[in-house]
Amino acid sequence: MTAPRALTAPASPQEDASVRPLPWRRMAWVTWRQHRFALTGVAALLGALVLCLWIVGLQVHHAYAAATACHPASSIACEQLIGSFNGTGHFLATGYVLQAVPALIGAFVGAPVLARELETGTFRYAWTQGFGGWRWTLAKLVTLAVLVAASAGALSVLLSWYYHPYFQPYFAGNSMSLTTESSPLVGGLFDLRGVAFAAWTLAAFAIGGLAGMLIRRVVPAILATLAAYTGLAFAAGLYLRQHYLTALVTSKLNVPGSAWIVSQRWLTKGGQRISQSALSHVLQQGGPELAGKGGVPKSLSSWQYLVQHGYTQWTTYQPAGRFWTFQWIEGGWLLALSALLIALTVWLVRRRGGLKPIRPT
Amino acid sequence: MNVLQASGLGKRYGGTWALRECSLTIPAGHVVALVGPNGAGKSTLLNLAVGLAAPSAGRVTVLGGWPAGSPAALDGIAFVAQDAPLYKNLSAADMLHLTRNLNRRFDQASAEARLVELGIPLKQKAGRLSGGQQTQLALTLALARRPRLLVLDEPMAMLDPLARHDFMATVMTAVADDGVSVLLSSHVIAELERVADYLILMSRGRVQVAGEIEGLLASHRILTGPAAEADKCSQRPVVHVRRALAQAHLLVRATAEDPVPPGWEAHPLGLEELALAYLREPGAAALPGPAHSRNAEPSEVTK
Amino acid sequence: MTIDKGFRPAASPVEFRLDAASGVPTYLQLVHQVEHALRLGYLKPGDQLPKVRDVVASLAINPNTVLKAYRELETKGLTAGRPGQGTFIQATLNQVALPELTALRRSLLRWLTAADAAGLDEDGSVALFTSALRDFHERRVGSRDRGGAQSGETKDVA
Repeated sequence: MTAPRALTAPASPQEDASVRPLPWRRMAWVTWRQHRFALTGVAALLGALVLCLWIVGLQVHHAYAAATACHPASSIACEQLIGSFNGTGHFLATGYVLQAVPALIGAFVGAPVLARELETGTFRYAWTQGFGGWRWTLAKLVTLAVLVAASAGALSVLLSWYYHPYFQPYFAGNSMSLTTESSPLVGGLFDLRGVAFAAWTLAAFAIGGLAGMLIRRVVPAILATLAAYTGLAFAAGLYLRQHYLTALVTSKLNVPGSAWIVSQRWLTKGGQRISQSALSHVLQQGGPELAGKGGVPKSLSSWQYLVQHGYTQWTTYQPAGRFWTFQWIEGGWLLALSALLIALTVWLVRRRGGLKPIRPT
Repeated sequence: MNVLQASGLGKRYGGTWALRECSLTIPAGHVVALVGPNGAGKSTLLNLAVGLAAPSAGRVTVLGGWPAGSPAALDGIAFVAQDAPLYKNLSAADMLHLTRNLNRRFDQASAEARLVELGIPLKQKAGRLSGGQQTQLALTLALARRPRLLVLDEPMAMLDPLARHDFMATVMTAVADDGVSVLLSSHVIAELERVADYLILMSRGRVQVAGEIEGLLASHRILTGPAAEADKCSQRPVVHVRRALAQAHLLVRATAEDPVPPGWEAHPLGLEELALAYLREPGAAALPGPAHSRNAEPSEVTK
Repeated sequence: MTIDKGFRPAASPVEFRLDAASGVPTYLQLVHQVEHALRLGYLKPGDQLPKVRDVVASLAINPNTVLKAYRELETKGLTAGRPGQGTFIQATLNQVALPELTALRRSLLRWLTAADAAGLDEDGSVALFTSALRDFHERRVGSRDRGGAQSGETKDVA
């Protein structure tokens, strides 16, 4: 008790409250100090991915260049190069592995923001400081949202470079072809490029933040975030995305390879739908005229046969040229959703404080 | 200035009311003891006062009229919750930095000096400190904000006697130095008699007793006399009766000047006895002001 | 972990203690301790009583209690507060030296033994002593009054 203490008397709140509220930048150090573990984890994950993608990506580009430069394309040596391209980094080829990245980032950065405070009870300290509860929440969520979205955005630039060869035109040798000419709109690859990757990461983070507030415990909140995100991602990829713009419908048989085929069906001369099994029945009856394969006709001759006999194939598709339009649409609604979820989280903090809506003991 | 003013304050969780019809006016410059059994609504009242919960009914203002939870209220009130929450993986120095960032006023120098005095190394992670040290750290952070009101929710529940003494010594010194008002809740009444000068007694979500302790003790007396006369002897309101075969004790609202019925003895009483008697009589109340006339006449209950 | 660490030159000759279980109000305990210290010579006129802050820090009691005790002492005329400095002793109680006190105590114990032998219980002893004390004071006050009026009085002093 001997240390001299500052002798300023407590200032009256009336004086201070008329002044501006505490500056937002005060939360910068707070956010960093409390989440540096999660943020460095994300940085490490992304760093590892960058390294991996860089190394494998160089191989992929190299193999592509070698395969396409090889002449004649049907020679054995060139076919070998085609095969080696197809085999390089093929675990990443469909892009589904990388779908986990936004989910993980969102869950492990977003969920603990509120869940950890509520689980450990430290919100009783944090939200009774001068800065206040809802402003604290808003500052943290917005800061972290921007950070994770920006990092994801940076990674998606690298991803676009990585997947570049897979969108190149069809190239074939004698018996093998490059696994290229994927549609840029196809699920698995669409959301790794453009603005979609950053937007999905942002959405996962926002889901995590709200889950943390509602569930109030870290591990269940993380799991709930992963589950909700997965559900949303599947719903978007399977049901929503194809409806962003009205799909084009054509009866032509040579739909461009880069188009994203939403559905295909055959109609009889009279306009009735016909199943694949009925089609193969028809084809079997026309056996001598065809290449001799049962089942789904793959060769052009099968299709021509069907067309000659009055059948039409209607293809509903989205052309590759709509890639960026779709990107902005998807990015737009994900951004709106994220903003809504974050606003909802902040509103819940403001309204409810930190207490459960059930009676405390 | 009133540090806390509640009118008709209530809080409902789901279907149950944790706090009902709470009306209080607590003047500044006091050390207020908030006492009651578990589930009485003490934590609820404190949470409403510091803005961690929003009222379901009525309103509560603090520090002379600011709504609870508003920026001015947050500025002037420092809260140390039960179990002294701290970030366990942050060092004491980090906690200081954190608190400094989150508040308008922070006396860094005195906080550091105090930690040195307490023997708490600044680089030590908060989770590695002992229970008493954690509570002292939380209290240091709270006091360094130079609040006008310090709110403590069962601060000493986990502390050993020495730590409890040191804790209250720190709080009382802050009262002596800065004139900060204190509102502390506890369910151990005996310890509070030394430090508190204002009592709020809560039971089952309602406030039963509110007033300065000196006044309360001066306006209550224990009358001891024959059990047979217990029901009719006293002119003054009887709060609680304890009866044996031949003898009875009545807690009455009377002062030392009031006449003692013949054949009876009058004694003064202590805080614990007063509080226990009221807690045993849920219908009884000792509240200031005409607004509570409904409860002003306590019921007489015989055992 | 104690807060009374290291060297601290006390500004006051005395330090208070608190008996929480005694049933005597805290402020009265402090008043009695000051009076007792005065009697025994621990405190002399001009000495400073402990600062309110220091009392509070070592006993963990409400500062108002200390202030009340100090006000009571001032009312009794034993102390005077100097603004900005503290509370100082300004008068003495009649000081009785320790050997005299011991002798008085011994004679009191002898009286108590005799009373006990006569069949007087504790409450009876207290009642007897209280009434004797009252008588003594009345006579003392009476003789002082009569002595003061002596010069103007024609009556004889009893």
